[in-house]
Amino acid sequence: MTAAIWDFFALPLSFPFMQRALLVAVLVGAVAAVLSCYLVLKGWSLMGDAISHAVLPGIVLAYVVGLPLSAGAFLAGLTCATLTGYLKENSRVREDTVMGIVFSGMFGFGLVLFTKVETEQHLNHVLFGNLLGVTDSELTEIIVVAAVVLVAVLIRRRDLLLYCFDQQHARAIGLRVGWLYYGLLALLSLAIVASLKAVGIILVVAMLVAPGATAYLVSRRFERMLVIAILVAVFSSVAGTLLSFHLDAATGPSIVLLQAALFVLALIHTWVQRTRTSAEHATTDQLATG
Amino acid sequence: MSELLVPFEYNYMLRAMWVSALVGGLGAFLSAYLMLKGWSLMGDALSHAVVPGVAIAYLMQLPYAAGAFFAGIIAAFGMWGIRHVTRLKEDAVIGVVFTAFFAAGLFIASLYPIPVSIQSIVLGNILGIADEDVVQVVVVAAVALAILLVTWKDLMLVFFDESHARAVGLNPVALKVLFFALLSASAVTALQTVGAALVVATVITPGATAYLLTDRFGRLLALSVAIGVSTSFVGAYVSFFLDGATGGVIVTLQTLVFLTAFVFAPKHGILAARRRTRAAGEAPQP
Repeated sequence: MTAAIWDFFALPLSFPFMQRALLVAVLVGAVAAVLSCYLVLKGWSLMGDAISHAVLPGIVLAYVVGLPLSAGAFLAGLTCATLTGYLKENSRVREDTVMGIVFSGMFGFGLVLFTKVETEQHLNHVLFGNLLGVTDSELTEIIVVAAVVLVAVLIRRRDLLLYCFDQQHARAIGLRVGWLYYGLLALLSLAIVASLKAVGIILVVAMLVAPGATAYLVSRRFERMLVIAILVAVFSSVAGTLLSFHLDAATGPSIVLLQAALFVLALIHTWVQRTRTSAEHATTDQLATG
Repeated sequence: MSELLVPFEYNYMLRAMWVSALVGGLGAFLSAYLMLKGWSLMGDALSHAVVPGVAIAYLMQLPYAAGAFFAGIIAAFGMWGIRHVTRLKEDAVIGVVFTAFFAAGLFIASLYPIPVSIQSIVLGNILGIADEDVVQVVVVAAVALAILLVTWKDLMLVFFDESHARAVGLNPVALKVLFFALLSASAVTALQTVGAALVVATVITPGATAYLLTDRFGRLLALSVAIGVSTSFVGAYVSFFLDGATGGVIVTLQTLVFLTAFVFAPKHGILAARRRTRAAGEAPQP
């Protein structure tokens, strides 16, 4: 039994590429989890969806011009966010619709570019990630980005919280709301660009929603919510990577499915608590009337 | 000149163009309702949520449309249930559910080899569509369009004036369920033309474009369908010269049409708005 458990951990970790995959998964998961707490509060859960799709043309164009791919992706992500804001301010179309139009348009355009431009990037790797094939330079980049995002959020965590929770109040006490808006968008774009190589466009979105949503169900205090979200993400990343090795399944989806499973557990927890409190109310009501 | 007619000489191209136009028309019809109601991202969510259904259906050799449809309905119910149990915002609920479903689809496809590549599900592959899939798409789209043509006024009443709808004896819940079934059907058909990643554009962009051009709902529907059909047809045609990326071309065209309307629309475009503010600025000085 203990030997089996030992094997579960030791066998995958005897491969250098698995050690690296595990490190990347934990880093990316933790950074996304921290951001997801703010996004869930702000009602921006689908902003991650939009930005992650919109980076595609940026990647191709950066390749053509000879810029670092992450720079192109980052600029494209910011373009998507600002263009959404501009179109919303200047037309009568609703914000969610504008966001959908902009990111799908950019993604579609990116696909067209991709077929016309010979890049050495595989479309499949951009779409679905390639956690097991992360290179040394990519690893360095991910570590730097993770550190930058985490430190930036940590320094400004109270301001960001106030901004996400109550924008009017944040403005009233003299915070620079515009800076916080673009700052949060920039951090989000940065995190997405770094995670792209590991888990791919579409599953980044999951990592930017599920941990925060799970923590939100379980905790009413923000500090605790942050800790829970990080724990959820780190556990899913470690267990998902190891499981995918043993099952011979895709790594990104395994991580996301574990996150979803934890969300369902939290959901059941909330549901049980709710029925229990309403049952208690019912009995106290009975006692009062009886 | 004759080079431009080459696509019409190939059967697979003719088929791709007509099927794309049909599917584009269906999505555009629904888009008029979705974007006015504020449900734009539901289309995105449903199109990703159907992927595990497609994977399982291919695996068990069932019609892909049935699996997709089933998965879409389960996802819609899941979102509705979570909304009722928790205090989470709607966008977070949508985000959690559709990404989990999508991940499940990729997970299944990585465990068991399915006969279609996951890339063609996510990005569409209308130029290489199998015959039996064409039959499914055409049947589903035709039935959905027929239902829409019969019920479009009832749906309009239920969506924008529910108390009135109730007063004239319509059943709002049943009609909303019907609408979501139609939306799932649209996502199922659009998987083949533009793929899961871009279905969202076909079910919002034409409607939003038409919304900038007219104030009347009947006209909005007609315009939206016209835009959806023409961009899809032309997009499939153009993709012949690009050797693929049909979905990308269709959606890029739709976005360009939207941006054109955004700038030049006679009443709601930014140029018109500028003219108005200028006129208003000059008016007070007699």
